[in-house]
Amino acid sequence: MKPIVCALALIALVPALSHGQSRVQRTADGKPDLSGIWQVMNTAAWDIQAHNAQKGVPAGPGVVDGNELPYTREALTKKKSNYENRATADPESKCYLPGVPRITYMPFPFQIVQTPAQVTFLYEYAHAVRNIFVNTPHIEGQLFWWMGDSRGRWEGDTLVVDVTDFNDETWFDRAGNLHSDALHVVERYTPLDADHITYEATIEDPKVFTRPWQMSMILNRHKEKNFRLLEYECFSF
Amino acid sequence: MNVSRSEPGLLLAAGIATIALLWSPAVSGQASKNRPVIAGCPSVSAKFHPCALEKAKTFSPPRMPDGTPNLQGIWDAPLAMGFQNIEDFPGDRSPGGFGPAVTVIVDPADGRVPYFPWARAQREENIKKYIDPYAQCLPTGVPRQMANFRTRQITQSGSMISIVNEAGGHIFRVVYMDGRPHLSPAFKLWMGDSLGHWDGNTLVIETTNFNGRWWYDSEGHFASDALKVTERLTLVDPDTLHYQATMEDPKVYTRPWTIVFPLERIKEKGYEQMEEACHEGDHDAAGFVLGGYQPYLGPRFPQ
Repeated sequence: MKPIVCALALIALVPALSHGQSRVQRTADGKPDLSGIWQVMNTAAWDIQAHNAQKGVPAGPGVVDGNELPYTREALTKKKSNYENRATADPESKCYLPGVPRITYMPFPFQIVQTPAQVTFLYEYAHAVRNIFVNTPHIEGQLFWWMGDSRGRWEGDTLVVDVTDFNDETWFDRAGNLHSDALHVVERYTPLDADHITYEATIEDPKVFTRPWQMSMILNRHKEKNFRLLEYECFSF
Repeated sequence: MNVSRSEPGLLLAAGIATIALLWSPAVSGQASKNRPVIAGCPSVSAKFHPCALEKAKTFSPPRMPDGTPNLQGIWDAPLAMGFQNIEDFPGDRSPGGFGPAVTVIVDPADGRVPYFPWARAQREENIKKYIDPYAQCLPTGVPRQMANFRTRQITQSGSMISIVNEAGGHIFRVVYMDGRPHLSPAFKLWMGDSLGHWDGNTLVIETTNFNGRWWYDSEGHFASDALKVTERLTLVDPDTLHYQATMEDPKVYTRPWTIVFPLERIKEKGYEQMEEACHEGDHDAAGFVLGGYQPYLGPRFPQ
């Protein structure tokens, strides 16, 4: 019986690996290896919520869990005014650093460089950089950084990044969704297989939202031969 | 504190820039330009160059698991002073301006960029008419990235090496070590396309595909989009790199030329590069325009 059981077990395994999935690569210290060049395949850059197409804007289902954003009344008024004035009011239109999580789902690739103590994100957009320091505390005192202060830790195979110390000058998208300098983002990067990462972000901002909310999406590995980051030096044009 | 048009990061309106500045040991780089000795060698480039390479011959560098030399760390360029002027410099008489400096060019021996005559004239015109692109928060290009104020972090990971700067507003380079070919010449980049390999214990990086829009320094020294830069990074001791870059550009220079300066490891435990937004808080570019300076868009070749 035993050989038959083994054969059946093998047959059972084959479908799991036959859909183009491959195992998550690991670093020397056993952590998932997130190194590589990644990019989303969604329309969150235009609007993180569900939206119809407009000229130059592809329709999309949105990336917000449950779709609704729990704005306070004042913040909702601000959001509507941001939307009306988005052509000039969007910080992206001024080529400013886009903040977190917005940088993740802009229509540009980014490269992850991973060491045990530091995971560095290099973005094609404006040479933006995020240094995620692993197992270290946030800098004391309040900073007002465009990209925040990022501190990472591994929970099993998930890189959890706690981001604080933002300024209030960035948006979540081109639709005017906003936050304050009280923004607190917790990102979770969980490899799905060798070429996909599940990205989840929990957003807290008591000055703007009545409760925390979440977004999620997939990061796709660029597998084109010799693929590399080029440049989008926004304010040089 | 020196504030000149070469250092946009110092001019940020954002208060946080001040914090980053106060934290940074490179601020003291202004004073350390007078250090006569680095790593047991005279600090002037022409003398540091042969002395440091001689020392490197007998130094066995720390190694990565794959056996290649480990150059990882955060590096300061205390003597390059952010490249106020890569040639001999008499000093800047403006308030808070730079003091005199000795050329970082070791070849040719006269310490001057071997420009064609029209290109030397272009350089003079650059100083008089144009804004240093870096002062507008545009990327430094190479080799200025390695000489820039404050620090750069080198990380070796698999088949690539990243070099990430703190100052100048978020700039970085990724050096591919996997033997791939350069990009098509059609691609023009601020930071170029960098490919690397090891020559013994020396990291050699060849960079092409530049856009010809940056300056080497605040004093108008320039290249075209035909530039090729070959850098050589060699550990002299655990905390000092001999940095060398050779520039070839047949459209602008009569011959290749080479600069050398030391990079020093930041040894402070737990030192972290901080965010330095640049364009986001930049208000001085408007001042230059008011002062009659124009944005620099690259060299104007003779007809």
